[in-house]
Amino acid sequence: MILKRLSFIVSLMLGLATLTPAFALAQVGATVTGSTTVSVTANLTVNDTKARDRGDKEVDRRIAALNDLNTRIQQMQRVSDAFKQSISATIAANITNLTALKAKIDADTDSATLKADLKSITEAYRIHVLIMPQGRIAAAADRVAVIVNMMGTLGSKLQARVQAAGQAGNDVTTVNALLIDMSAKLTDAQTKAQAAITVSATLQPDGGDKTKMDANNAALKEARADLVAAQKDLADARKDAGQIVAGLAKFNVNANASSTTQTP
Amino acid sequence: MLKWIIGIVVIALAVAALWWSGWLGKITPSQTATSTPETSQTPQAQAPTNGMSASNDASDAAIAQDTTAIDAQLTGLTQDSASVDSSLNDKSVQ
Repeated sequence: MILKRLSFIVSLMLGLATLTPAFALAQVGATVTGSTTVSVTANLTVNDTKARDRGDKEVDRRIAALNDLNTRIQQMQRVSDAFKQSISATIAANITNLTALKAKIDADTDSATLKADLKSITEAYRIHVLIMPQGRIAAAADRVAVIVNMMGTLGSKLQARVQAAGQAGNDVTTVNALLIDMSAKLTDAQTKAQAAITVSATLQPDGGDKTKMDANNAALKEARADLVAAQKDLADARKDAGQIVAGLAKFNVNANASSTTQTP
Repeated sequence: MLKWIIGIVVIALAVAALWWSGWLGKITPSQTATSTPETSQTPQAQAPTNGMSASNDASDAAIAQDTTAIDAQLTGLTQDSASVDSSLNDKSVQ
């Protein structure tokens, strides 16, 4: 549900950032005569060219980032195909808009229009300040959920082995404690991943409002902290699993047990 | 006219008797059964994904396979985290 809302919000946000082409009519001053005019025009042209190159690079970088994000979104496993298609369509629309903006920047021939277009890259397209982190956070949270699921399966197997070891007369107190800790870490990781999504999914572009921008940044950092905590939980759970395996290796029990999987 | 009424009543009683005995009831389900395909209610076992072994295999080899698969995903999570950091720390070149 939250992910669907994210999809809708992202779509809405990006839908607002519609490029309005307004191609400049002026021509580059190849036919301009007069030493003073030529000097000014040549100076502006050099500056314009540098600014245009920077703008092109900025747009290219953002398009590459969007394509990269889209690839990652398609790899998400714990969300619906509809969600992935929605995000993909949003990303494709933004790439189209950025491509059109780049074409307009390349076609701009007067400094004022070019500056306005270059400024629009930063001001109108808030991709890197909000949407990219939102998408990346969602992808990381999805990965956490995948790992929790996998470790849950492994935990069930280890539990079966520990149970068999106990029935064989081994002291399983230590490995049982590790199993309990592993389960707790996985539960916490899942909770933290969900919190990361919750805190970041409903954010909206600041539209130049500094207060809102600060609030967005704080929320994104909070989501990031949640993911860091989830990652640490998973590392701890993995460590527990390793210690359980090492403990089982010391027991004299059948190593070909079967288990009933309990997915968290 | 009276004969017709008696005849209809007799037929109605005969149909009611057949229904009451369950004979008609046996026909109806079998007829509908041919037009409504049954769907299997048996849950399909989910195939292992992401390099995991079979979920009911707790052997040493399966556990080793699972930990390897989990480690690969943990590496992927590290990359995802780096991407989150990168997206949060991105600066415009303008």
